Amino acid sequence: MLLKDKNVIITGCKRGIGRAMVEAFAANGANVYAHARSADDAFLADMAEIAARHDVEIWPLCFDLTDTAAMKLAVKQLMSDKRPLHGLVNNAGITLNALFQMTTEQALRQQFEVNFFALFNFTQSVSKLMTRQKQGSIVNIASTAAQDGNAGKSAYGASKAAVIALTESIATELGETGIRANCIAPGITDTDMLDTLPAAIIEATRNQTDLRRLGNPSNIADAAVFLVSDLASYITGQTIRVDGGLR
Amino acid sequence: MLLAGKTAVITGCLQGIGQATLVAFARQGANLFACVQQEDEAFLAFIRDLSEEHGVSITPVSFDLLDDASIKNAAMTIQKAKQPIDILVNVAGITLDALFPMVTLAQMQKTFTINFFSQMVFTQYMTRLMLRNKRGSIINIASISGLDGNVGQLSYSASKAAMVAATKTLSAELAPQGIRVNAVAPGVIKTAMTENLPESVVAEKMAAAAISRPGLAEEVANTLCWLASDAASYVTGQVIRVDGGIGH
Repeated sequence: MLLKDKNVIITGCKRGIGRAMVEAFAANGANVYAHARSADDAFLADMAEIAARHDVEIWPLCFDLTDTAAMKLAVKQLMSDKRPLHGLVNNAGITLNALFQMTTEQALRQQFEVNFFALFNFTQSVSKLMTRQKQGSIVNIASTAAQDGNAGKSAYGASKAAVIALTESIATELGETGIRANCIAPGITDTDMLDTLPAAIIEATRNQTDLRRLGNPSNIADAAVFLVSDLASYITGQTIRVDGGLR
Repeated sequence: MLLAGKTAVITGCLQGIGQATLVAFARQGANLFACVQQEDEAFLAFIRDLSEEHGVSITPVSFDLLDDASIKNAAMTIQKAKQPIDILVNVAGITLDALFPMVTLAQMQKTFTINFFSQMVFTQYMTRLMLRNKRGSIINIASISGLDGNVGQLSYSASKAAMVAATKTLSAELAPQGIRVNAVAPGVIKTAMTENLPESVVAEKMAAAAISRPGLAEEVANTLCWLASDAASYVTGQVIRVDGGIGH
């Protein structure tokens, strides 16, 4: 167990990669603040079940990341809980598949609102708590689309590239205070987000992948566990592609 | 334990990153072939203790990367042990530093033979064993020198850049057959190899790093453990910098 008794915040835990992260972090002994936009019974029951199965604590943290007032309340809760925070995994995000010439300004702003501004604000608040305790590992989920210039990904890719640039600056600024910051760039991963892509593109991408298969949410989760853990104590400012060798 | 039941071949185990890798892999439950240029009593005693402490088998293998015949013999020895090989970590390497006008052809040739040509020959032998089981993980030790360049390290940095390119090509060729290939690029790590660096050079690098201390061999070894394990089963063709954020 790589994270025994560590406390980690993960955003976007309802489905896909975030849900797999809760599972992987719990399996490695971490207690988890599991963020989701809204609390519903199914989510709360799911989190309680994972907590019981791995004998860890999971505290649901439900708010809309784009609602600044709601975020401030959530951060207040984190402060009053007074638990040392060892990790923050910014996983929540949205995607868009639209050709550049067809991408509306509104859609572009929406991508940045969720994928970048919300992440920026939340990380700023959480990092202040981490600074007090002089430790912490921030993991941001970017995308290979931030680096590869995929067709149809101008808005999404740009928002994720902004996350990478932000992460590198955070690493530089907060290294002295014992906080590391890294990105994971997932390749083509088997989640709901894939439903938005045409099957032909998925198949073509699979064939351009050295391992000739799609990634699983757990593959991304395992990388996040590693980066939060002390095994990665000398890794900061990096973007690790978990993409099966995407060409 | 990340590597329970796996068998790994590690080169350059006598000191530094190789030795730390040996220790970290034993701690994570891997059975090991520990390759050194020449085994001596102290090394044999060291691996005997390590083996007992962690309940894993550690077999010493000696070969000289400047001697093709000895590389082949070593590969035969490993093959004859009939253990499926899951992991190969190419750590062995040298650096012969000199400013560009002073670099000799002999230095370049020796550096490339040890850091690149011979590693590829040995890797070829090991992949033949891995392909029988259609699985494996190969990790090459590159260097940030091979990515960024570094004053006084023409031969070394170029040989490590060759290793980076080889990592990507081998991933393209071998990953479809179940063998992942990655590289780790260490920054300034406290080892005998960096002991001779002028203090001013180390200070300059540390000033440019987010984590302003040299790394430990153990920290590189821990990354190797993760890359070798099934926790990294979708990671291939990558070069991972373990450098404390130099240039950030």
